[in-house]
Amino acid sequence: MATIAMPGRVEAAAPARPAEPTGVWSWITTVDHKRIGTLYLFTALFFFVVGGTEALVIRLQLMKPNMGIVSADMYNQLFTMHGTTMVFLVIMPLSAAFFNYLIPLQIGARDVAFPRLNAFSYWVYALGGVFITAPIFLSLAPNGGWFGYAPLTTTAYSPTLNIDFWVIGLQILGISSLAAAFNFITTIINMRAPGMHLMRMPIFTWMSFVVQFLVILAFPVITVALVFLLFDRFFGTNFYTIAAGADPLLWQHLFWIFGHPEVYILILPAFGLVSEVLPTYSRKPLFGYPVMVYSGILIGFLGFGVWAHHMFSVGMGPIADSIFSLTTMLIAIPTGVKILNWISTMWGGQIRFTTAMLFGIALVALFTMGGISGIMHSSAAADLQQTDSYFVVAHFHYVLFGGAIFGIFAGVYHYFPKMTGRFLDETLGKWHFWVFFVAMNLTFFPMHFSGLLGMPRRIYTYDAGQGWELFNMMASLGAFLQGAGMLIFFYNMWRSYRQPATAPADPWGAPTLEWTIPSPPPDYNFAKLPQVTSRYPLWDEKGREAMIQHRAGDRIPSAEELHIPMPKSTAKPFVVALFMTCMLASLIFLHVEGMATVGILATIAFALAMVGTLYSWLLSPLE
Amino acid sequence: MNVLSPMRRVPASLLIGALALGLAACGGDQPNITDYPNTTFEHRTEFNAALDFLWDRLLLWGTIVFVLVEALLIYTIVKFRRREGGPEPKQVHGNTALEITWTVIPAIILVFIAIPTVRTVFQTQATVRADALQVEAIGHQWWWEFRYPQYPGLVTANELYLPVGRTVNFALVTKDVLHSFWIPRLGGKRDLISNRTNYLWFTPDSAFGEAALNGMCAEYCGDSHANMKFRVFVVAKGDFDSWAQHQMAVAVPHRPADSTASAAPATVGRAMTPSGAPVVLASQAGAVPPAPGAAPYTGWNKPLPAFVVPQTPVPAGLAWSAPAGDAERGKQLYSMSSCIGCHAVRGNPMSVGNIGPDLTHLASRHTLAAGLYPNDTKHLALWIKNARAMKPGSIMPTLGLGEYDPIMKAKVTTGGLSDQQIADLVAYMQSLK
Amino acid sequence: MTTATLTADHGHTHGAGGAATPEHQPHHTTLGLDHRKIAIWAFIGSECMLFISLISTYLIYKGKSLVGPYPHEKWTDPNTGETFNAILNIPVTSASTFVLLMSSLAMVLAHNAVINRTGKAKWWLLTTILLGTGFLGFQAYEFTSFVHEGLTIKTNLFGSSFFTLTGFHGAHVTVGVLWLCTLLAIDLKRGLKPEDGLIVDLSALYWHFVDVVWIAIFTLVYLIP
Repeated sequence: MATIAMPGRVEAAAPARPAEPTGVWSWITTVDHKRIGTLYLFTALFFFVVGGTEALVIRLQLMKPNMGIVSADMYNQLFTMHGTTMVFLVIMPLSAAFFNYLIPLQIGARDVAFPRLNAFSYWVYALGGVFITAPIFLSLAPNGGWFGYAPLTTTAYSPTLNIDFWVIGLQILGISSLAAAFNFITTIINMRAPGMHLMRMPIFTWMSFVVQFLVILAFPVITVALVFLLFDRFFGTNFYTIAAGADPLLWQHLFWIFGHPEVYILILPAFGLVSEVLPTYSRKPLFGYPVMVYSGILIGFLGFGVWAHHMFSVGMGPIADSIFSLTTMLIAIPTGVKILNWISTMWGGQIRFTTAMLFGIALVALFTMGGISGIMHSSAAADLQQTDSYFVVAHFHYVLFGGAIFGIFAGVYHYFPKMTGRFLDETLGKWHFWVFFVAMNLTFFPMHFSGLLGMPRRIYTYDAGQGWELFNMMASLGAFLQGAGMLIFFYNMWRSYRQPATAPADPWGAPTLEWTIPSPPPDYNFAKLPQVTSRYPLWDEKGREAMIQHRAGDRIPSAEELHIPMPKSTAKPFVVALFMTCMLASLIFLHVEGMATVGILATIAFALAMVGTLYSWLLSPLE
Repeated sequence: MNVLSPMRRVPASLLIGALALGLAACGGDQPNITDYPNTTFEHRTEFNAALDFLWDRLLLWGTIVFVLVEALLIYTIVKFRRREGGPEPKQVHGNTALEITWTVIPAIILVFIAIPTVRTVFQTQATVRADALQVEAIGHQWWWEFRYPQYPGLVTANELYLPVGRTVNFALVTKDVLHSFWIPRLGGKRDLISNRTNYLWFTPDSAFGEAALNGMCAEYCGDSHANMKFRVFVVAKGDFDSWAQHQMAVAVPHRPADSTASAAPATVGRAMTPSGAPVVLASQAGAVPPAPGAAPYTGWNKPLPAFVVPQTPVPAGLAWSAPAGDAERGKQLYSMSSCIGCHAVRGNPMSVGNIGPDLTHLASRHTLAAGLYPNDTKHLALWIKNARAMKPGSIMPTLGLGEYDPIMKAKVTTGGLSDQQIADLVAYMQSLK
Repeated sequence: MTTATLTADHGHTHGAGGAATPEHQPHHTTLGLDHRKIAIWAFIGSECMLFISLISTYLIYKGKSLVGPYPHEKWTDPNTGETFNAILNIPVTSASTFVLLMSSLAMVLAHNAVINRTGKAKWWLLTTILLGTGFLGFQAYEFTSFVHEGLTIKTNLFGSSFFTLTGFHGAHVTVGVLWLCTLLAIDLKRGLKPEDGLIVDLSALYWHFVDVVWIAIFTLVYLIP
């Protein structure tokens, strides 16, 4: 082991490689998991800008008391869309970008199990994202909060189209997540390289694996909750109709049975990424790999037993409150184990402070903070003063921004050379990191105080003299500083785009299979399927030489030369996704005066078109 | 490039130090009320004292864990930063004993949190004592209705009077969507759930004396969620009874000449039940009857602290020409207009609506539109003129002639009220002490 | 385009799918199972959560309807004095349940016929389709008669949760029937061979799942008053 050189950042001459298809059409028809991953990444970054802009308007409105930047209704649309965007259009798809790009590479596969289904998932996400976001320009964006509590979302209290866009949009996005989850479960179960048994799987793949199960078990529940709401709004059913005796807690239970696992759907991929980053830059294997795997599984599945901790103020009674308090506290144990195992991974290492590593370390620091405020929420009685205040806003931004987003940026800096063959500039990267780190704390830390000092969340304005001015001003300044951090990041991306692709296969000295192939990988990934003998094949003295797929500087052969059959590019998944989105979107016309017939006809027409294209897709061979 | 320079270590350690200090600062028992008038840390009720006790445990353990973990993290990254020519790290894959240790230690800490949590959960949701003051808090988009079932006929809006030292039990119901009842200085939140009744009780501690406090809605409920506030006046028991007696009485309009300021004492109408019989008040032990000769207490008459005085700016485009109004004309106009479809004025047989707030003692209140504006002539007039511009989403229609109704998206033409008519209505409203 | 590849979005396994270059990379999956087999189990797991949510909602709202008609009791409208009978018709539904159970049996026989090349696959597929359609016919009859008796999806909580639950199940049966029709078309066109066992197996798994869900619905909704 000691004989392995410890590389810093390594650059190499770009090897000759087969020409790649270019042009918009090549992206629409691609079924290559890497290109789909790239599409996910850039689309999600686009929505990150959208959701971030929404946040900046929110912070501008709250910067001082009684501001009038936006109307109450627009503010409500903004905070609803900020939450919906960040959860469904940013963090989940950013994770999906890594699932797509990395899972096949990490398990030594040539693609995912169902490449065309994969393209379909992406297109449904992209089209659904546009569908749910665009109405904000007409002031018709969803305005019921990201968890849309009934009966506010029913026709009686929200007669306009805003909530219709939300219900239909979330159904569309749910289909995307479910399709992707079936795909990745199959891929991970069935496409691992020879020798890669479950306990040799890279930890990111492991966390992704857990997440896919959470998706397939949690999303049907919100699908049902949304179907009820859709039927209530469109067909006059009574699921949330108060006058018919409905119980509004039905929505809350269904939503949070989905919603809490969703929290782990958001955070576990980031945990996975950081568990790849910390060992690499510490030059040490992940401390307690089996425990990290089991704790991930445990966090995921305990996550199904704690949903009602979002509902401590609804009056469930002391017994239910106590039970959900205790189950919630239990989750702290595997989470705490993860944190200490990460620190132990670094302990005794040779830590290189690359940008990726800084983001990774920051995740450990910031998630700890969010975890501790989470324990404060878990105490049902104490939570009565915290819930629905800015304290809870602070808490979930520490876990989702300090946790998920920081983890994802660790992944972006770490894997950018693998994905593009280019490096992100480290100096700019560190500026990005420090600006983000300071801004993040400046924005969200004061919210703990404003919350405990009585500021409820989701208010579009507040009066002077309530003791909240300073904290809101700090938060607003922090938010704009975060915006500045993002500008640095985008400039960095643009800069590296203009530089030659010089990244070698394994620029950071990382240990897993994705680093055995060129950066960026050829369309077939592995010229020769690897034979896996350990968890960190590139750190094995014996394994290292055998694992590298191409000598540096060698020409990379094409798939034809290697006789590797590749799936054919096809637009069918895109067309099916388009027809399906249009089919569901046409339902909106049922609520536009005079357009109901058009809506029904369009829905039927798009449904038929979708089924027709689907048959054509299923009947055409993959390769 | 690969080493965290001292320059860069400074902000990180400073920040973490600040976090710890900041958290600790939250734990003080008596935060500065003037600076933080909605603090959740005041022990004004046994409810809040119990929650704060719990909070102190959470904060203590949270801070200990936070400081230990972050210190360990910082120590690790500083000590084990890469050094040129450093040896290849020892490849440690895990340590079962260590991992078991840090599985068990958090579990033990959690026991220290779990036990007081469960105890407090049961304590705060225990059966309320039988002699508690009963208050029905009814949520509406976007205002609060308060009824006191032990005081027949007592209905008020957006102003809650509580006697000091007596347990109050709230029955929480909503007329429309979900809301959440929150008075940070008196207790935690409890949601108002359609088709259900929730309960919340606490006892304002006599030791803390009287207070004017803020209450608010804490569950997002639509357009004016931010504008669904209320005021809480915790007053002496005798004052409370006197106030209640006054509020139970039917409206006896007072001429402007009778009084000049809203807080000035006013003659009290006789307390009546709906059948017209005088009511014997359920006077509490210890209630002090008003001193002979002194005017009876009809509401908070001390200076209002700044944080309960609304400062909402009047929306642009609204103006009030301030003609003098006549209460008698106003009463006639009111009784024949659509106002009575939604509002009740007890004592005015025409006005029995139950959609909007009960106006019987409107002039005794300090704010308008659920804590959004001060209850003075200008704001009341503008409110009648264009409630929908004054408060987003308001159900109360825009009434002023020529005013733009933001919900109907049209100007009010026929049936709109002139400024003179509005002034008359305002005069009538202001006579409802 | 060939029907042989129906639903074959797999294929992109390690190395070669099909017979392209078998000597270069062996057809290999980790479990030795086809991808689609794993995916359908994941899908069925997900569908379980869907139906658990639907059935739970029905049970939570059971007895909570403010007005009738009710599933198991008579109801008299206090305003009009009109009396409504208990809605659920257990004898008829027992018959339709039997029909659906028999369709599962026919499905098993169809699968066997394909594997064993008996040549009777098309008859068993047709039987399954007819029994499935028969079940849907029962459901159509049930829905129309409920509407005539005064229960629609808008009437009360029972109507909303009942029609949504059984409607979702009916939609699943419909998808299954379409799927089986597609298999039948393939069989008529070129004959299903033992190599096609998998695609028949996939539809059979789905069909049996839908059948099992119905047993749960029949027990929890119809039989338990």
